[in-house]
Amino acid sequence: MVTTLQPSPEKEAKSSPNPGLRTLIDDLLDEQSTLQTPVARFAEDHDREPDLAGHYRNLIPLTKPGEGEQYAFEVALDRCTGCKACVSACHNLNGLDDDEAWRDTGTLIGGDDAPAWQQTVTTACHHCESPECMHGCPVGAYEKDEETGIVRHLDDQCIGCSYCILKCSYDVPKFSKSRGIVRKCDMCQQRLAEGEAPACVQACPTEAIRIIKVPSNIPGIPERRRKANPTNLFQPERHNPQSGIPHDSVTFPTTRYVGRETPQTAFAADRDKLIPEHAHWPLVLMLVLTQAGIGLLGSSVFAPDSFTQTILGTLLFNAGMVAAVFHLGQPLKAWRFFLGLRTSWLSREILAFSLFAPIPIILCALPLLPDFPYKEFFTLITRISVLPLGFAAVFTSIMIYADTHRSLWSVRRSAPRFFGTVISLLLLGLSIHSPMLRPFAALAIAAKTLPEFIVMRRSQIQGDWSALRHSGRLLLGPLLRITLWRFGLAALSMLLVLFSPWLALPVLIASEILERQLFFQSVHAPKMPGNFGVSSPH
Amino acid sequence: MFNKLLKSKSGPLTAELVQSPGMFGLGKVPTRLAPASTTTSICGYCATGCQLKLHLDQNGQAINLSPQANYPVNLGMACPKGWQALDPLDASDRGTTPLLRDPATGQRRPIDWTNAIQTFVSTFKSVQANHGRDSAAFLSTGQIPLEEMAFLGLLWKSGMGFLHGDANTRQCMATAVTAYKQSFGFDAPPYTYADFEQSDVIVLTGANLAIAHPILWQRIMRNERIPKIIVIDPRATETAQAATQHIQLKPKGDLALYYALAHCIIRDKRTDPESLANTEGIEDFAEFVKDFSPQFVAGQTGLSEETIENLARTVSEPGKRVSWWWTMGINQSYEGVRTAQAIINLCLITGNIGKPGTGPNSVTGQCNAMGSRLFSNTTSLVGGHDFTNQEHRAKVASGLSIPMENIPQDSSLAFDEILRAAEEGKIKALWIVATNPFHSWINSGRLAALRENLDFLVVQDMYHTTESAEVADLYLPAAGWGEKSGCFINSERRIATIKPVCKAPGQALTDFRIFRLLASAWGCGSMFDKWTDPEAAFLQLRNLTKNRPCDITGIESYDHLDHAGGIQWPFPEDITSDEKNAIPDAAERRLFEDGNYHTPNGKARILFEKPAIMPEPPCDLFPFLLLTGRGTSSQWHTQTRTAKSEILKKLYPDQAYVEIHPRDARNLQIENNQKLTIRSRRGEMSATAYIAPTVQRGQLFLPMHYPEVNRLTHPSFDTYSRQPNYKACAVDILIGR
Repeated sequence: MVTTLQPSPEKEAKSSPNPGLRTLIDDLLDEQSTLQTPVARFAEDHDREPDLAGHYRNLIPLTKPGEGEQYAFEVALDRCTGCKACVSACHNLNGLDDDEAWRDTGTLIGGDDAPAWQQTVTTACHHCESPECMHGCPVGAYEKDEETGIVRHLDDQCIGCSYCILKCSYDVPKFSKSRGIVRKCDMCQQRLAEGEAPACVQACPTEAIRIIKVPSNIPGIPERRRKANPTNLFQPERHNPQSGIPHDSVTFPTTRYVGRETPQTAFAADRDKLIPEHAHWPLVLMLVLTQAGIGLLGSSVFAPDSFTQTILGTLLFNAGMVAAVFHLGQPLKAWRFFLGLRTSWLSREILAFSLFAPIPIILCALPLLPDFPYKEFFTLITRISVLPLGFAAVFTSIMIYADTHRSLWSVRRSAPRFFGTVISLLLLGLSIHSPMLRPFAALAIAAKTLPEFIVMRRSQIQGDWSALRHSGRLLLGPLLRITLWRFGLAALSMLLVLFSPWLALPVLIASEILERQLFFQSVHAPKMPGNFGVSSPH
Repeated sequence: MFNKLLKSKSGPLTAELVQSPGMFGLGKVPTRLAPASTTTSICGYCATGCQLKLHLDQNGQAINLSPQANYPVNLGMACPKGWQALDPLDASDRGTTPLLRDPATGQRRPIDWTNAIQTFVSTFKSVQANHGRDSAAFLSTGQIPLEEMAFLGLLWKSGMGFLHGDANTRQCMATAVTAYKQSFGFDAPPYTYADFEQSDVIVLTGANLAIAHPILWQRIMRNERIPKIIVIDPRATETAQAATQHIQLKPKGDLALYYALAHCIIRDKRTDPESLANTEGIEDFAEFVKDFSPQFVAGQTGLSEETIENLARTVSEPGKRVSWWWTMGINQSYEGVRTAQAIINLCLITGNIGKPGTGPNSVTGQCNAMGSRLFSNTTSLVGGHDFTNQEHRAKVASGLSIPMENIPQDSSLAFDEILRAAEEGKIKALWIVATNPFHSWINSGRLAALRENLDFLVVQDMYHTTESAEVADLYLPAAGWGEKSGCFINSERRIATIKPVCKAPGQALTDFRIFRLLASAWGCGSMFDKWTDPEAAFLQLRNLTKNRPCDITGIESYDHLDHAGGIQWPFPEDITSDEKNAIPDAAERRLFEDGNYHTPNGKARILFEKPAIMPEPPCDLFPFLLLTGRGTSSQWHTQTRTAKSEILKKLYPDQAYVEIHPRDARNLQIENNQKLTIRSRRGEMSATAYIAPTVQRGQLFLPMHYPEVNRLTHPSFDTYSRQPNYKACAVDILIGR
């Protein structure tokens, strides 16, 4: 039955027969600030089964997943009318932050043909068969539950590196600034464990979301996935690259979208919206400064009298290392980085940079140390190791981004940029002592801008949407000012390096920092279809 | 041990999301938000009237909410606005103290209540003394409980002695009110929501239920009779796309279409003699619609003869239950009353009224528009009475212990007439309560000019930042939904309660308490001695309804309403005790089952009129026809509340957008997301292009929630209801980047 409050205290608060206005005001303000004392009604049965149990009984499986099965969301597109109550329910029933919900909605637009075709697509974590968030996590803060297949995030294990956000093709994990960690949908596993439906399932007025059991056999990528299924948004054979819907071949999302065929012409409503991605400043600085440092250190190896370059290279490299720490929401927990070595390039990067880190220090220290046996040999070994180990470390940086499967960040496109930074700085360093190398340094700086030009050219070509075209349009659209500065400074450093490499150095580094900012901001991050005109940042 | 060190599966961050049984039938809830008790309240947005279950802490303060299961309206569901109903209460721009504009600096300065009330009273008294009772007006709302509406209407007219006052329900329901009143003799929407589940044919016209009333769409989805769902709408709305048939007619082709349907039905003798016996005017009507052959209206409606003939057969199928539902697509029109009545006529002649799954059914907009219709004391005398009827005045006077001469015999100006009078300088002072006409009124640009002509503008609202509050001389901070008690009446005539579950910020007071202060300071406090609290007021108002069609004398108390799961009017005292204690599920009642209407002779009137010409059709200079309407389910009207919820903000476009047909876009070389300027004869605004074949060629659609939209709309009105014609005006597109 309905619960009510006790009789209103307003009744008791009878004002005196002829109250002055002020007395009445005081009385009324007093009344206003009094809430009724809540008393649970005697009739209210505390321990009863949830009121909505009857409603959702058929929307969740009767039994737990068996061998080779897991839980999955099933969304009946034909039942969803876009009320978005699922998002609100997720927020309320999970007690999330003011702007936090683990379910989101978007729209697919059917294209130009009448009759109009639009489809709201509600989406939460897909609890993928092969969760890339989990594979990318350096500290093992993700687990795929063996029994249910639910991809769980361990909030107290998370170091807040945000790499899972970059790894997820569906924009599922979200960074919680106040906590310094990531949080995500866990399919309300606490509810499911007790036979209750997840918040979104409970709340859908038209019963469009349910939990089903699906086969989960990762190895070998079974045949069923290769069969065209017109109602599955992610099916590779139906997949239209222009739709803006992520491809399923990386993570194998388990959510089934059923009930309505999606036309080939359909595309995400937010596809054409040009919103720059997060800049990730600590990462920008980390990448540029470590790469610049390695380049300068490398140059010092070839020029015996270049102690200044050694010192400067060491400083830059370590500044980059320090910057990286600022990217972590929970740096004190980062010591567990080795847990992810088997699958995570981030773990490998941390390892590679940790191994490299002593070398610059040793290089700086060696000339200051008193002689010791084999000092020269030791120095030689250290010097020789700088570039191979440095390039190896930078390679792990490249792989971190390549492993996100984002077009702009493929090895082909990021290796020239990352290695290019090292080589530009290497040549700039060398040209300090060998002026004849200066044109080569200028050439390296120029060559390095080529990959960026290629991307920008994409935006000029009329035609179909692609992730790279999106990047190009960002560079020449909302990011144009930064793009101009980036190229302006690059040109200036080319000019300066011919006269004074020392003067060119800060200009070049500034230019590279902007290049890297654009690297992050102009990337197209795959995600589920979003809403038209909602400028939610990633 | 080592494993534990390596993997932290528990800890303070994990604990934040741990759930425990919520009790009270809730299932699991976050442990830190587990309620100490719960109570219920009707949602304060739309007229669906969903009941929400508020989760309270030890102090009775709401900490969370979920939709109430088993409530006969929403059955445990809610749309996002309902789910987030508590969010807007915490907004930083809530009014916490009265503000008075300093004439010297033009800035608003905080003042105390004593000062504010005295300023209000002395100013309005002096306006009245110098210019008479016609020189001031109030503009109120369908968003406050009926007890507050009645208090305001009575205080203004009988206590303070003014005449003019109207509500924003003029913008949403006036047409339906007038149509029902003229046809049935009383403003009586005849249906119950169960009719959605019991229809064989559901015709939705000018109604985008999937977005505007998601819970009513839920009720349609529960219909197990495999109904035909026919949507008649110029735009391919979300509802139209989900329907079994979408009849995409030309804008304002609806009246001609309905007459053509009547033409076919009468021609084919598919009328229902039993129902016709309870009507008057059928002969004239039959003669009138003779001209409206499907062929004749094909041009006007943009529909083929075949489509019209088929539709006529579908809605007159003998033995099938056909229900018609409309909202603002019909109401907000220059000929809305006649269009609504054309629908009523179709139901009357086919016998689709007074039976399960039938009815000419107007779905209301605001949470308490229906309360306003019976109790606001604006258009009709409080309690479903008539100002011009002496008996009624005497009944109200004695019922409320008000001197008979304090009840005016003449009626108030309507909203648009009040504004015109203000423009002309006849109305000197305006009191706006819980509405935002500086955003919502048609051709809103006029309001700014009008403001200059006003000597004094008072705005009483939850927020001091609404477009209207910003320009007020005196701002009174009001407590909102969730901070007050009272009753709402929903679309299906169901009366139910709301409860105070949050403390109002600062010195904000409920509108009820503000009215008490004003009554006392004005010197008419004794007239409202019995109005100590909303429930006391409710019981008096209840008594007034005796022997009216809306008789609710059988309701005992707020508690009774809560236990019964809300009660639909009528609910007279002499209702059988069985019905009185009926379980909520059985408590779904519809009107006119006996074929008796509220007209003097008991017969329903068949009313009709030749379709008029669109007031501002597209032309060479303004070649596009602009349609407006609801944008998403997470936006409400002028967004004073929905823009305060971070969750809702994620669910709708933050900037205005305009829907345009792909071929029009191609012709004008417009790309998706391109910034456009939309211009009418009255103003212009910028909007982002949303290219989709949801609108027809030559038409544009703008959601009403963005304040710029009403700079464009054309100020034309329905002759009978004075409701503004928001949905059709001529505009042009200017392309800029």
